[in-house]
Amino acid sequence: MESEQHSQHLERVPSGISGLDAILQGGFLKGGVYIVQGVPGTGKTVLANHICFNHVARGGRAAYLTLLAESHARMLQHLRPMAFFDDTAIPDRLYYASAYSTLEEQGLRGLLDLIRHEIRGQTASLLVLDGFVVAGLTAPSEREFKKFVYEVQIHANVMNCTVLLLTSNEPGPVRAEHTIVDGVIELDDRLFDHRTERGLQIRKHRGSGFLRGVHPFRITTTGIVAFPRIEVAFASPSRRDLPPRDRVSTGVASLDALIGGGLIDATTSVVMGPTGIGKTTFGLQFLARSRQEEPGLLFGFYETPERLKAKAEALGLDVAGLEASGTVEIVWQPQGENVLDELGHRLLSAVRRRGVRRLFLDGLGGLIESAVHPGRISRFLSVLSNELRALGATTVYSVETRDIVGPTVQVPIDGISSLVEGMMVLRYVEAQGRTHRVLSITKIRDSAFAPELQAFSITSGGWEIIGPFQGYEAVLSGSAHMPPPPPEGR
Amino acid sequence: MKTILLVEDEFGIAGVLTVLLEDAGYRVLSAGNGREGLEQLAANRPNVVVTDYMMPLMDGAAMAQAIRADPAFQDIPIIMMTSVREDIVRQHFAGYTAYMRKPFQTEALLDLIARIAES
Repeated sequence: MESEQHSQHLERVPSGISGLDAILQGGFLKGGVYIVQGVPGTGKTVLANHICFNHVARGGRAAYLTLLAESHARMLQHLRPMAFFDDTAIPDRLYYASAYSTLEEQGLRGLLDLIRHEIRGQTASLLVLDGFVVAGLTAPSEREFKKFVYEVQIHANVMNCTVLLLTSNEPGPVRAEHTIVDGVIELDDRLFDHRTERGLQIRKHRGSGFLRGVHPFRITTTGIVAFPRIEVAFASPSRRDLPPRDRVSTGVASLDALIGGGLIDATTSVVMGPTGIGKTTFGLQFLARSRQEEPGLLFGFYETPERLKAKAEALGLDVAGLEASGTVEIVWQPQGENVLDELGHRLLSAVRRRGVRRLFLDGLGGLIESAVHPGRISRFLSVLSNELRALGATTVYSVETRDIVGPTVQVPIDGISSLVEGMMVLRYVEAQGRTHRVLSITKIRDSAFAPELQAFSITSGGWEIIGPFQGYEAVLSGSAHMPPPPPEGR
Repeated sequence: MKTILLVEDEFGIAGVLTVLLEDAGYRVLSAGNGREGLEQLAANRPNVVVTDYMMPLMDGAAMAQAIRADPAFQDIPIIMMTSVREDIVRQHFAGYTAYMRKPFQTEALLDLIARIAES
């Protein structure tokens, strides 16, 4: 039984592309044939070359055949600056040749013979045919083309050579050749308002599971980097979520006293309020309690690490020293055209790398603004928070609310309360001719907390809870007023 | 009129070089790989062989070795034009007359061919 199972095991050929093997759940099938399709400029050639160079770096051999694609010299010139490129692999381990003349003169039969010859001659375990669409255009009939693809598959399987067929077909309906091959990968580069985002989708992966849906990817100086969509990649947290145990100090002793000793270990809390009210100060105090055995991470979008350290120093918090000792890491992600899933993976990777136990994400708006599909945000955050809990991180998100004062609190995410265990709302309140800072603890799941509104101030030492903000009505509207006196005679 | 044997699998490059060489007054024989190159060589002795390295069926190094091994053709100058680094080419075949790294300026290749063809 065991040997039968072993014989049925399908051997994989990893792409070596960051993120793609997770999407493919291990890589391509050895001896399988895959169509990689996408309109010109979507990154097919870079992807295929990156896979080839990774393959030969692991000891494999590859052949790259072209049909009316850009010249090899030009293609290699474009690839040369990328980190994966290795001049020494060419031609002994990675061989480039044009198959166009053969196709022109001898048709699909000649092309098939050439593919077979190059697999054998180069002892290639990976072969790319770039410009596969041209073979389709040359075919005398659809039946002949299907037969050609079928024969390529037979040879690939017998010769244990994985084959990638690159075609510039428009994405769309299933084509005849799709029914024969082992897999179809579709690349695109979509426009969202004024920005574009590259996406990769596995349409078919015979004999294997795969992560479904569109996954963003980038072409960087290191080559292709794919970011499996967080919602599907971490649909089940990577570790079992342990029941929360300890309390984790917020860094503000007077606040800890109001919430039963601190935040609950490995939970997620949100502190929301308008600009300048003290969200980042709170986060820095939370982070300053990091220790070697309780490492901290500040993942921020707005203020640079230098400004944050200077701000902390002004509050008497040695965040710079904690960073220098490796107890705290500051990851600054400047606002630009970020990719939501890239940010998610970067955050989780930073947490995993150092076993982070205290995480301050400043602020959630940076994630929200990176989403080309804002409708994803709630589910994205839910899955991200689950994973952070499973990793044992006690997380504080800061969220900026829109209005500095006013009758409503505009929260940029729907249903945020259901995503977090703790929630604190900060408000500027006008009363008796001056502005007060007021804190409302609206949620600490499974824990008692002081329900009264609390006045707080920011001193040279940071946050300080002054005490209950009493004697006023409509405080959270921003314009507090004294309640009317009770009617006389009662 | 001098004859150039141009061995190049990429038809776009082969086409442009053929036109430019013919404009420069050469007779051009074309081949798409090393095997075809040797067939052309046997039928029409060229003055210079200009060859790519990586081609299907037979590469430029294997073809050049066969040319050097044949007493009838071993003195024909061979220009190796390729994306492959020269130190790697030399590990396989060091008997070429000149090397030109792709991509190149066509004028540089034409000058090189002219110098070698006239020498």
